[in-house]
Amino acid sequence: MQYELRYQVIEPKRQTYQNVIDRFGDQPASRYLEATLDVEPRENFHYRPTWDQHRELYDADYTVLKLKDPYSYTDPRQFYYTPYVTNRANLHDEFTKQMAYLEERELLAKLPAAWRTVLTTAILPLRHYESGAQMVSVGGARFAYGTSLEQCCTFAAFDRIGNAQMLSRVGIALGAGTGDLLQVAKREWLDSEHLQPLRRFTEEAMVTPDWAEGLVAVDLVDSLIYPVLYRELDEIALTSGAGAYSLFTQYLHTWFKDQRKWLDALIKAWAADGEHGVENREHLSRIVATWNPLAHEAATELARVVDHQLPDAGTVAALARTTAAAEQRWAQVTGGAA
Amino acid sequence: MSDTLRQVGIDIQESEENRGLVAAIRADNPELTVRHLPGLVKIQAAGQIVINRESVERELGREWETGEFQLAIVSFAGNLSEWDDDRIIVKWEH
Repeated sequence: MQYELRYQVIEPKRQTYQNVIDRFGDQPASRYLEATLDVEPRENFHYRPTWDQHRELYDADYTVLKLKDPYSYTDPRQFYYTPYVTNRANLHDEFTKQMAYLEERELLAKLPAAWRTVLTTAILPLRHYESGAQMVSVGGARFAYGTSLEQCCTFAAFDRIGNAQMLSRVGIALGAGTGDLLQVAKREWLDSEHLQPLRRFTEEAMVTPDWAEGLVAVDLVDSLIYPVLYRELDEIALTSGAGAYSLFTQYLHTWFKDQRKWLDALIKAWAADGEHGVENREHLSRIVATWNPLAHEAATELARVVDHQLPDAGTVAALARTTAAAEQRWAQVTGGAA
Repeated sequence: MSDTLRQVGIDIQESEENRGLVAAIRADNPELTVRHLPGLVKIQAAGQIVINRESVERELGREWETGEFQLAIVSFAGNLSEWDDDRIIVKWEH
């Protein structure tokens, strides 16, 4: 006798979960969509929060920036737990290797004196800035309406802690394995005049009741500090015997590019929203008009200190270029609302 | 034109990664039939199938090189009439 081997197609009863089927019909969907769409509860809340009687536990009104449908926005990176963790674990592995290399060769100890001062007075204290920015992102993680927005904020918050850790590790390596320089950096953050505008900015962003406003405000500082300190200064470092600086800042710069991806898409979604677009653009212009001068002041103070130590660095000039670019970007986003 | 266009087809291995690729192809080629077999997605269209790098990148949320198409396909029917950094076109050429 003889067997004939055939395969039989068994149609699955459903291709994906109901939350996706409700929106896109029954077809195979990405894990990202399955884990994101309509996950946050919208109804049947028992009590309003005791600390805010006028809003629900999850409520679109925690910010003035609204989306008609929060799930019309999706993270362009499509991060949900697993890809996010894998991606960042790789980044930190790389960073650890880089640090091991720096420590083995004592490259940080061999930094020229002026660069060492720049690190302790301008760069290391920024771990406190990162920490503040983390709190702002956590605010977004809690109060943003819709999982697609909220999970981006959550990941951004963890990223910020990661950034602060990177800076701490550099500080420990620079201080020959001790936390001494981190303590110096903290004193700088608390007392030095050049860091007070940034500290004040961070603290005010932290207590801003509107989570989205805080997020955009911090982004205004980011878009000045990251390109100037971690990219432009990095190029100067390469030509002035401070290669060690370049080796670790590349991670921060890479992170910033990644951060831009979701945040730019979100800001664009706000500005282009079918129902709330006009108001959103007005609010965005107001937020930028309120916070940008402060952000600029904070970044300028930092740039001055760097230029004072490294007269050839031209950080203040780099800041002016970056500011022009950032303002152009915002003008495009907000259109005529400014 | 009276003569009918010949069908071209691409068979893509079914996986999480390739789903974005299929979605991008679907978006760029309106007249497409997609059949799901176990472990395989069979795509057919009359005339040609176009794959744009930009659409695939948008679907995947990361950078994608057209060379990665090699890793996704099982087989195809037609000729690769164009394959550069931005675009792949599958159609019959004669």
